[in-house]
Amino acid sequence: MDHRHLLSEEIDLLLDGEEGFGVNPLKAHLAQCAGCRAEYETQREVTTALESLPHFVPSPWLAERVMSQVQIFEPWHVALRDRIVSALPRTRAGRTLVFGTGGVMAVTMSVLTVWLAHRADAVLFLASLLGQRMRDLVTGGVHDVVVSTVGQGAAATVASNGLLGVGMALSALALAVLGTAFGLNSLATAARSRRG
Amino acid sequence: MAPLLDLRNLPDADLVSLAQEGRETAYRELVQRYERPVFSLIFRMVRDREVAEDLAQETFIKVLNHIDKYRPEFKLSSWLFKIANNVAIDFLRKRQLDTISIDGSPHARSAAEVDATSFDVVARQESALDEMEAKELGTAIERAIQQLRPEYRACIMLRHVEGRSYEEIAATLDLPLGTVKTYIHRARHQLRDALEGLRDD
Repeated sequence: MDHRHLLSEEIDLLLDGEEGFGVNPLKAHLAQCAGCRAEYETQREVTTALESLPHFVPSPWLAERVMSQVQIFEPWHVALRDRIVSALPRTRAGRTLVFGTGGVMAVTMSVLTVWLAHRADAVLFLASLLGQRMRDLVTGGVHDVVVSTVGQGAAATVASNGLLGVGMALSALALAVLGTAFGLNSLATAARSRRG
Repeated sequence: MAPLLDLRNLPDADLVSLAQEGRETAYRELVQRYERPVFSLIFRMVRDREVAEDLAQETFIKVLNHIDKYRPEFKLSSWLFKIANNVAIDFLRKRQLDTISIDGSPHARSAAEVDATSFDVVARQESALDEMEAKELGTAIERAIQQLRPEYRACIMLRHVEGRSYEEIAATLDLPLGTVKTYIHRARHQLRDALEGLRDD
């Protein structure tokens, strides 16, 4: 038998139920030493009493009081997922129909995309044809507007001078607008001063 | 959909994930799961049921309003106990600061005014314990626990009432492992002495 009594730290190891290399000699000592056993038992009573302490029960309103002040935040992706899920039919048959239709559409779109990619030359030709048509349409419209505004002769002059003609026409238009505005403003000022 | 799940059987980590997705039922389950341990820890720290309820409420609000910041490598219960311990310690510190005025108002100019503005802290604390609290805290071990320093109290509660390991307690209370072992060791000895004293009486 070990003649030394157990240190309080060693009793702690036993109380904590530690298992390991150094614990067995402590247990052996405890079995043979009445003094250490009494100390261990006293400590054991304390820990047993602590471990049998119950939880206290708060008032039943605690949860409600907490929840009234908790800010619940739903991330956008969860909200989106919920919206999609709630929009889906609840029955199995309905869901099958929706997913089936979606699948057919996805396959069709994929096939169409692959086909278009394969026939890229035809697509480009069609796109350029459409572009040309649109350009002609817009140019014709603008020409009609100019002819109806300034007359056939002026329109022909502007068209024959190219960008310079367009610039001169726009400058003349701007001057006419400014002149008109200035004239109207002078008339208004004169009328006010006469009333005054 | 989440509401169809039986939340009571879910582990904490899954419950937190649902709460992070904004499921109110998950929040409620978390409160329900931990209201007793959290309230008990705080109640044993502050010895006042009304205050303990307020502090438990504060604990849950702090944790649940920051649930998006929860790190899964840390146990949820440890986080809750950490906040609970902090709010209880803060309250005890504030109450201790309040006791500065036990000697009466600094503006008092006569003995009568000093008397009128002073109060007895012990008497105030004892009177705050209503009959129910006195009954709840009336056992010898509960009374002995109240004599411990607050930091010893928190350690011994977490160790023996909540069954936490020394490492968890150290992480929860932000204390070195050695300090936790020392506190628990001293707390056990003080409790033993207190209980032996009661037995002798």
